Amino acid sequence: MITGIVVLILRILLAGVLYAFLGWALLVLWRELNLHLQQVAREQVPPITLEVVTRQEGEGQHYEFGEREILVGRHPSCQIVLNDETVSTRHARLRYRDRQWWVEDLRSTNGTYLNEERVITPTVVVSGDTLRCGQALLRIQIQSQE
Amino acid sequence: MNRLSSVYLFPSATKEARLLSLAAAFLFLYALILTLAPAVRVHSFQTALNWQHWVGFGVWAVGAWWVHRNLKVWLGEHDPYLLPAAALLSGWGLLTVWRLDAMLGWRQTLWLGLGWLILGLGVRWPNVLLWLRRYKYLWLGLGLLLVTLTLLFGTYPGGEGPGLWLGCCGFYFQPAEPLKIFLLIYLAAYLAERLPFSLGLASLIAPTLVVVGIAIALLVIQRDLGTASLTLVLYALVLYLATGRRRVLLLTAGGLLLAAWLGNAAFTLIHQRLVAWWQPWSQAGGVGYQIIQSLIAVAEGGIFGTGPGLGSPSLVPVAHSDFIAVAITEETGLLGLGGLLGLIGVLFIRSLIVAIRAPNLYRRLLAAGLGIYLGGQSALIVGGNLRLFPLTGVTLPFVSYGGSSLVVSYLALLLLLHMSVWEETTPMPLQGIVPFRILGGGFLVVLALLAGLGGWWALARGEVLRNRPDNLRWVVAERFVQRGRLLDRQEQVLVQSEGQPGSYRRVTLYPPLASTLGFIHPRFGKAGLEAGLDGYLRGLEGQPAWEILLARLLFAQPPQGLDVRLTLSLDIQRVADVAMEGKQGALVLLNAQNGEILAMVSQPTYDPNRLDKGWEQWKTDPRSPLLNRATQGQYPPGTALTPFLWALQALPIEQQGQSPQSLVLQTATGRLACASVPSLPVTWSSAAQAGCPWVTVALAQNLGKERLEALWSVLGFGTPLNLPLPVTGAAMPPPEASLEDLLTGESTWYLSPLQMAQALAILQQGQRPEVHLVNAIKTPAQGWIVLPVNSPEKVEIAGRTVNRFADWARSDLPVWMAFGRGINGEKAVAWVLAGTMPSWQGSPLVVVLALEEGTATEGEQIMREVLTAALR
Repeated sequence: MITGIVVLILRILLAGVLYAFLGWALLVLWRELNLHLQQVAREQVPPITLEVVTRQEGEGQHYEFGEREILVGRHPSCQIVLNDETVSTRHARLRYRDRQWWVEDLRSTNGTYLNEERVITPTVVVSGDTLRCGQALLRIQIQSQE
Repeated sequence: MNRLSSVYLFPSATKEARLLSLAAAFLFLYALILTLAPAVRVHSFQTALNWQHWVGFGVWAVGAWWVHRNLKVWLGEHDPYLLPAAALLSGWGLLTVWRLDAMLGWRQTLWLGLGWLILGLGVRWPNVLLWLRRYKYLWLGLGLLLVTLTLLFGTYPGGEGPGLWLGCCGFYFQPAEPLKIFLLIYLAAYLAERLPFSLGLASLIAPTLVVVGIAIALLVIQRDLGTASLTLVLYALVLYLATGRRRVLLLTAGGLLLAAWLGNAAFTLIHQRLVAWWQPWSQAGGVGYQIIQSLIAVAEGGIFGTGPGLGSPSLVPVAHSDFIAVAITEETGLLGLGGLLGLIGVLFIRSLIVAIRAPNLYRRLLAAGLGIYLGGQSALIVGGNLRLFPLTGVTLPFVSYGGSSLVVSYLALLLLLHMSVWEETTPMPLQGIVPFRILGGGFLVVLALLAGLGGWWALARGEVLRNRPDNLRWVVAERFVQRGRLLDRQEQVLVQSEGQPGSYRRVTLYPPLASTLGFIHPRFGKAGLEAGLDGYLRGLEGQPAWEILLARLLFAQPPQGLDVRLTLSLDIQRVADVAMEGKQGALVLLNAQNGEILAMVSQPTYDPNRLDKGWEQWKTDPRSPLLNRATQGQYPPGTALTPFLWALQALPIEQQGQSPQSLVLQTATGRLACASVPSLPVTWSSAAQAGCPWVTVALAQNLGKERLEALWSVLGFGTPLNLPLPVTGAAMPPPEASLEDLLTGESTWYLSPLQMAQALAILQQGQRPEVHLVNAIKTPAQGWIVLPVNSPEKVEIAGRTVNRFADWARSDLPVWMAFGRGINGEKAVAWVLAGTMPSWQGSPLVVVLALEEGTATEGEQIMREVLTAALR
């Protein structure tokens, strides 16, 4: 009888330890899973406004985006289509990464210039910067995230 | 960085250490219980305990500690759940393998050591992910090549079986296992490269379809259908995660169904698997055997399980590999199954979190893919064990015995750990959280379904499953728990269990009574009283319910068996057996007053102590020694019915003349003679006593058909006897048979000697006693408890005149005796019926003897010896 009772106590402890492991792990896990999902899904892209400054006409055209990636070029599939001969088909890309907007030249013929400096590697843009693709000028406004 | 890490409640190293110590505590307790298990089985510490498996625990503990330290040093902040969950699973599996087979335990310990080594050293090499991605085609090619080589050089390490292994000299591995990982790496790398530029789904997946198609084709050719279907599921789910298109899932589900349908028609293996899944009960001895044994094991586990080392999981074929989840469930119950599924769930959800947090698509798809591989394969095989899916023959990752499976699981763990390392970069934005929600939620639903199904088999169907005849756990119980003895009415031992707990042996001390006592044998099962009284002898009947429950909970055994006292008298039995020796037939001696069976002989018989040697011979012997002729003998009654007719003759038959006109009966087939020689002068009475057929027919005609039919039913021929032995059923004469045929034995009406004895008792006493064989059972609490017996039931037999037997009284004993002869084709049986005279002061007795191919003289001799002993 004593053997059975000793082992029964051990078995109860065994089940207790197993469920302590699981209970603790699952509890912390569940909380973290929810937080992660919320954070990754909630992460907002700060809206960016691009104003096309053309020389011929005085008024500029405004584009506002909530997306993460904006292609600039002559091709109709680009988000900003610039009908300027100095602009390449896919000229430059604006991309939101690591909580900042980056501009990247897509090997354009006439180059991309940020504040009149040639963009060679992906570069961070901030509100108020001017971006020149060939002859086309773009003014950048980024709403700050509260 | 601060923003996200504030999510964590503890630093990851602390969490990992805490979880690992809980895992270590669990395994320590598990190992301790395994050590003590032999003591529990024999209810005493004075026995050899198990120590070997501590080697496995040691390797586990040292390895876990070393790997944990290496992770802390080399990986820094990483996922703290992956290692403890996987470590607990592999430790649990290792100890279970040790418990099932020490030899395999040693091997698995080595493999686990190798797994720890890979993990501990692998974490120092952070480029492994990049390197795997860069040379993805190389790895894929290598994986496919190895699997192709198995087609040519594949072997099966265990002897005969599917050739899925490569290697030699005691070291084997299964290339299908690493192929899964190589495929995942290729898929993740390829999709991460192409997905951003893809135009349509079709052009995106075309190359992967080819690769996966080749892999699946190779696996199908090898008949490794489990891995093939798993590969398809993996592919579909990774693709779904990458593209977010639900039609991928629908197409795959359709494809699997189609494959199952085609496979069912084309491959016998698939057909068998599907049949075993869909209708195992009708194939219990064939393809359904494995799955039924598996479900029985789950049922035996119940809620709490038998306790580690205390169940009999090795009764399930390949318990250490495909059915290890069932071995665990039997010994730790539904609680253990729930824990096991929970751990699998932790691994899966953590992998998804690693995937969600991944900084690029390659890592995201790879992490999710590895999670699906580990979780999906687990669900597939546990579901197969519990009959949710057809059996696929894949291993349970981390848990099952098998080097390739364990090492590859550890490789997957290594990659997951690498990817879980916290990085400064923010996670790559999630396209949509729906696929992850569906996958994670879907998997948890499957786990819940598995747990529920386990509960269904263990609780709702538990009773039915445990009582199945192919549940062989009683064999183990017989060896470890003393079975009750069978005693005669003076408490002389007839059968007992001898030996020590763990080596009990059933010994029949009085073998001539074998036909009645029966046997209990691991190979040949149970028979006779051993089968009929199994409940008492095994202690599952006649004991209070709490006693049975307690024994089950504490020892996973039935309680001590109860002794059973029979009504048989060994002293009379001995005389009867000696008298009947060498003859063929049966004898029943009955107390006509209360229905106790005092002696019961069936000759020839067998020896339960020598079943191993004699079984085949007895089974094929044309004289059927295994048959209990007293209760199951099928003898034509013939003129043995004469005493019943004679006792009912209301009008003095002498009206028809002093003596019968004839003795022998002329029938279509020949002349029927008297059973015995009538005493002189020949009168109706002496001719009836001698069983002369002409007289029998005349007496019957004098009664008329209606009274005869009423008589047979009053004599109890129409109701089966209730004994803990196999008995012949009700035996009323066929209505279309003619009177003559019935009485002269030329019909299909058969009676057993026991039925005849009961009829005689009814005739002699005018009441129907309850014929029984069991007198009392001995419970530990109350001693002997006499089992209640119904008091005799009054029976009206019109015209019964017992005085008519006065003429048949013998001079040497206070009994009457009559003879009869039944004929069935070529075979004849000599009946002798006897009873005490009404003047006898003791208990009234009746005896019936049926002697195959015997003579009345022989019968009379036997009867005289038995009655002399009985009336002493």
